[in-house]
Amino acid sequence: MFEPFVDVVPSFFGWLNQGPLTLTIFLHTIIILPMIWIYRQEKKRIEQEEN
Amino acid sequence: MASNHLTGIGRESKQLATWYFTFAAILFGAQLLFGLVAAIQYVMPAFLFEVLDFSVARMLHINALVVWMVFAMFGAVYWLLPDETGIETVGIKIGKLLFWVFAAAIVVVVLVYLFIQVGPADEMSIWFIHEGREYIEAPRWADFGIVVVALGFVANLFLTGIKGKQTGIVTVLMADMIAFSGLYLCGMFFTDNISMDQYWWWWVIHLWVEATWEVYVGALAAYGLITMLGAHRKVVEMWLWIEVTMLFGSGILGLGHHYFWIGTPEYWWEIGALFSALEPLPLVAMFIHVLYDWGKTQGEQDAQGKEVSVIRNKPAFTWFVLNAFGNFLGAGIWGFFHTLPQVNLYTHGTQFTSAHGHLAFYGAYATILVGMMYIAIQGTNGIKVMNHTKSSIWAVSLLTGGMMGMTVALTIAGYVQVLVSRAQMGATWAAYFDGQSGIWFAQAMDWRLIMGVVMFAGFALLAKDFLTTGKAPVHQR
Amino acid sequence: MAKRSVWSDNRFWQRSAAWITGFASVLLIWLTFDTMAQITIGTDADIKNGVTKRVPAPTVINYKITYEMSTKRGHEVPIIGGNDGQGMSLFQEKELFFGRDDWSEEEAAELLHLGKLGSQVKNCMNCHTLLGNGAYYAPDLTKAWLDPQWGPDGSMQAMTGKNTKEEAMAEFLQNPSKYPTHARQMPNLGITAEEAKGLVAFLKHMSSIDTNGFPRNFGKIEGAVHGK
Repeated sequence: MFEPFVDVVPSFFGWLNQGPLTLTIFLHTIIILPMIWIYRQEKKRIEQEEN
Repeated sequence: MASNHLTGIGRESKQLATWYFTFAAILFGAQLLFGLVAAIQYVMPAFLFEVLDFSVARMLHINALVVWMVFAMFGAVYWLLPDETGIETVGIKIGKLLFWVFAAAIVVVVLVYLFIQVGPADEMSIWFIHEGREYIEAPRWADFGIVVVALGFVANLFLTGIKGKQTGIVTVLMADMIAFSGLYLCGMFFTDNISMDQYWWWWVIHLWVEATWEVYVGALAAYGLITMLGAHRKVVEMWLWIEVTMLFGSGILGLGHHYFWIGTPEYWWEIGALFSALEPLPLVAMFIHVLYDWGKTQGEQDAQGKEVSVIRNKPAFTWFVLNAFGNFLGAGIWGFFHTLPQVNLYTHGTQFTSAHGHLAFYGAYATILVGMMYIAIQGTNGIKVMNHTKSSIWAVSLLTGGMMGMTVALTIAGYVQVLVSRAQMGATWAAYFDGQSGIWFAQAMDWRLIMGVVMFAGFALLAKDFLTTGKAPVHQR
Repeated sequence: MAKRSVWSDNRFWQRSAAWITGFASVLLIWLTFDTMAQITIGTDADIKNGVTKRVPAPTVINYKITYEMSTKRGHEVPIIGGNDGQGMSLFQEKELFFGRDDWSEEEAAELLHLGKLGSQVKNCMNCHTLLGNGAYYAPDLTKAWLDPQWGPDGSMQAMTGKNTKEEAMAEFLQNPSKYPTHARQMPNLGITAEEAKGLVAFLKHMSSIDTNGFPRNFGKIEGAVHGK
């Protein structure tokens, strides 16, 4: 499943790219996760506005 | 487009919009004309050989495409700006002056393309003839002119947005248009390294058509739904923000699907594949959004017992709905077909791309911009409810039917090329011509030409309708 | 009053849009820095020291270039100056290019510069594809240098009356419609002898760029079933 590193030039992204979808899962995760924090903040705001 | 009914706030801005639309429509015709020349050359290679070669015809075809769309996009912003902000566009005099600068520059560039065509291999040719880089061939001097015009346009937009009411639509447009203009700078340098060259070239092309232009279309669709249906601004703008989230979230890193094979590192396979695979999602959302708002507003009216359509501009709305579906079909489906590297290894650089390019530009951009032109005709002629005429129905049917036929033909040609030239024969010169001379490929190219003629007939009717529908008796005034 | 959902709240989506757009842009810029470092054109010293670059130095025109399967990477890679047996370049075996295999770094860079300029000014990309990008009216030029058509077994050397690949290519580029191979011909673009030399250097250099195995199976299939 995890392949030996064969990229022409070693790099951080190249290293992340060696497993099954590891690079794209990593990037999608760090993009999406902070939305949870935005969600919580907005939820709090809406609740305050309603009270 | 007569402007006798343009009165009140924003009169000047809307007048400028009609200038932009008129020039755009003329260039649309030029685009189709040179497209026909190129299509004929596929079928009869001797046609205009060494007079107006394929390379020149195609350069004019795709440059007219880009420029008419940019003109219509600028025009649409000048049209909607007073409606959104509630004030006349700030700096409209400079805006009008820049229109003439822009139009004159384009005419000079086209004449040079047509009559000079090629020069010696030196920097002078890059500066004064063309740069030879697909879609952004404009010579360097024109690049600088375009930057000046774009800066003026962005300044108009920002100053007006800040001074007037800054709606969600205006906010999105402001952010989007500054990115749109800024990205052009990435294509304005020369390098001996072709990998580097193409890397930055895609920053312009991809980040335009798969990011900033798409967001622009989202904003335009939002404006259209509010003006044509009376949809609720709050709901429409929520959709718009969702679309921006999804479009930029997938489209920016989706750029990676152009970096599979140009010398760039291996990791782009995964980034490009997975982010661009998500690009169709916002396009589905946009399609649902348009139909949802239509049904919702109509339903509300029906509930009140009124049996009339909520659509205030039928031809424009037809084009907007076609846009919602065409964007999804042409950019979404046809794009996804060949976006994964496992597939793209064989489809890259074949008629497959051409099929996608045709339907995507038409579905995602041409449609909505033609729709905006109808909105402008409605406004300039003081029409309350605009209806279809015979020619507007024939125009939209022939243009769309022709484009679908052309896309299917090119897709078949693409399959032949992928299977014969690439998979079977290994992509050499001989392999290329084996694919091209196959009977299925040749027939597909015949059909493409026929469908191109159908489209051209559709355009002729569209032009006729643009010129006459304003006075037609079918509308409610 | 019914509870308002965050999912239908404009501010939530506006902030999400701003976050995602901003962060995706930052990531793209970061990736761009990484890629720039990897695709910067190499130096002659790299070649002499046996360092494989994704885009090698212009002096690569002094070496023999082939396109061979690398079992390690799972696709074909450009091999410069001989294969070490494991899909890596040896940078040893030279090849004459217009009679010389000692083009200096400056001379080679100048030829490449002329060739790249020529490729744009002559509008190659609006008929051909380069690295797969461009128009589809003529063959892809990515590995054109390695096309068997121009090799000793191909027809183009005999047709143009030249004994080497580079001279045959240069001759063809100067008078393309004199050597028609198909009904669809290349037009005369006023290419001079010097420009043709530059263009051939550009093509040879392009064939040495590591394109991650595009195009697949290039030139490997001979005598396949005729594609009609």
